[in-house]
Amino acid sequence: MGFMFERVKDIKLSTIKEIELRASKYPDAVSLAQGIPDFDTPDFIKRRVERALKRGVVAKYSLSPGLPELRELIEESLEKENMFYDWEKEILVTAGSIQGITATIMAITNPGDEVIIPEPTYTSYQEVIKLAGCKPVFVPLNEEEGWSFDIEKYKKVITKKTKAIFYCNPNNPTGTIYSKKQLLELAELAEKHNLFLISDEVYKDFIYDEKEFFSLAELPELRKRVIRIFSFSKAFAMTGWRVAYLHSDEENIREIIKVHDSLVTCAPVISQYGAMGALEIGEEKINEFRERYKKRRDMMCERIEKLNSVFSFVKPDSSYYIFPKINPEAVDIKKKKKVVDSREFAFWLLEKSQVAVVPGVAFGPNGEGHIRLSFGRREEDILEVFNRLEKLFL
Amino acid sequence: MKFILKTFLKYYLKTITKIVLFIHKPVVIAVAGSTNKSFVKKEVKRRLEEAGFTVRANPKNFNTEIGLPLSILYLPSGYNEYKKWIPAILKAPLKIFQKKFPDFLVLSLGSSDKGDMRYLLSIIKPDISIITNITQRYKEGFSDMNNLVDEYQVLAKKTRKEGVLVLNIDNYRVREVGEGKKQKILYYGKEKEADIYISKIEKNKKGQKVSIKQQGRKKDYQINKFGEHHAYAFAVGLAVKKVGRPGR
Repeated sequence: MGFMFERVKDIKLSTIKEIELRASKYPDAVSLAQGIPDFDTPDFIKRRVERALKRGVVAKYSLSPGLPELRELIEESLEKENMFYDWEKEILVTAGSIQGITATIMAITNPGDEVIIPEPTYTSYQEVIKLAGCKPVFVPLNEEEGWSFDIEKYKKVITKKTKAIFYCNPNNPTGTIYSKKQLLELAELAEKHNLFLISDEVYKDFIYDEKEFFSLAELPELRKRVIRIFSFSKAFAMTGWRVAYLHSDEENIREIIKVHDSLVTCAPVISQYGAMGALEIGEEKINEFRERYKKRRDMMCERIEKLNSVFSFVKPDSSYYIFPKINPEAVDIKKKKKVVDSREFAFWLLEKSQVAVVPGVAFGPNGEGHIRLSFGRREEDILEVFNRLEKLFL
Repeated sequence: MKFILKTFLKYYLKTITKIVLFIHKPVVIAVAGSTNKSFVKKEVKRRLEEAGFTVRANPKNFNTEIGLPLSILYLPSGYNEYKKWIPAILKAPLKIFQKKFPDFLVLSLGSSDKGDMRYLLSIIKPDISIITNITQRYKEGFSDMNNLVDEYQVLAKKTRKEGVLVLNIDNYRVREVGEGKKQKILYYGKEKEADIYISKIEKNKKGQKVSIKQQGRKKDYQINKFGEHHAYAFAVGLAVKKVGRPGR
């Protein structure tokens, strides 16, 4: 059987899911691991779907790029953010962002190509790149500078095989918003070396303290280079619906849609109606979610500060994650190491206090020595986790 | 309970809207079609505002039996929460005595079932009716395409006699709607016979350059948006500018 499963032999099942699976075996486990909003999908989205169900319009495939009425709404919502894309040719509705990412990577690369990922970042990127027969090339973010880009580091890793730079903005797990200046430097580099820029912006609605956000997709001169991805999962508490979209110049979409069509034919039509509901009247709900996440972030930061002998952290400007560094002197395990083995720490924590967190190494080598905590979870869970951590460490 | 409230709201808002329209007499522009209503509506609004008029347009999904009157009266929706309807119900009659009312109303009309258009046109009587295109989209509520086209026929017939129909010449179902109508008709599109003839669309880095011929004169415009539908919306804007306030 050695000749089988060649393509997937280096692919790992996400550590996040592994932790969740392990945690499910502990009766009193509390999880801040997986990035799931604890809110239910808003009622107006459910009503929109109920209407579609009653009208009998959800049973058939939609056009491969998605329902025209949804894509029109997406074009309109992009306009509000200073991005101008043609709904007919430049917007593709996908079955969640990861399917859009997979279609994109498969379309723009050839086996053996390299894709640069600033890290720590979302775990599944590297697996998708490997699945496409390509090599993920990690560029560490600068923790001392608030997890920002260091453009010089990118210059050093670009080779003839480099096809794209793939980043998450705001970044998961650090909650960093990349500045306009940093992004423009990246764009300049991409122009110089003829690279694609894949920008995953699924957390762009959860930005706190009125920090500025900029997307390279706003610049018409970069539209052939930038492929931007957005998902309804986080913004509208719709993780289970699996609906997202991507947009770029028609030259790129024309190619990406070939992979999309062969993977899923179209995004689930019922979920596309849900997405329509979200875009029609969802703005108020996003504001409400944002306020509640901000409150939870502040609460979580306050509690981590009490544990400053164990953790140090950069306060996130966005998303719903905090990515604290573990002080090796403060924890019982592997004191001799300069950096704590985050995987070992996460499983030890689960064993000791039934608290599930994600080991930082899951987000790339530079994430080692950290853990990711999600404040997308219920306030009661956050409080309980910190009660247990304080009991364990203080 | 829900049915009772909905029925009450429907007729209550309709009555007040009709009184408001009778008193203030704004120019009513109806925008209908399977796609591109929203972009056309925005372009028409932009054109009219540029010409110095005050304009009110309905938000994206406010184009049905309750949404349309709410838009005209500029009231918020309570959606599915009974309590949230109270402000709209209380404020609605005050709109009758409102001193300033917009010169123009630009209203997209939604029709997903037979009879929807007739109901909406029992609230408003358009001075200008724009039909963007007719495709199979929203066909599920109708037994066949002819039935769907009939909805647009109703719109054309209910437009004021001294009014204007602005029709997409490139869609043969829309052209059909124009046949035998008494109102003035302005056609737009890529067919040479169009009154607002889109002779060329060239994509460029910033959007597209659109060449439009009107009464033998050609002019180039730069539209900083991508997609042919914006060229069509732009052409509609020119048509409305040309028409102004028909019969007033």
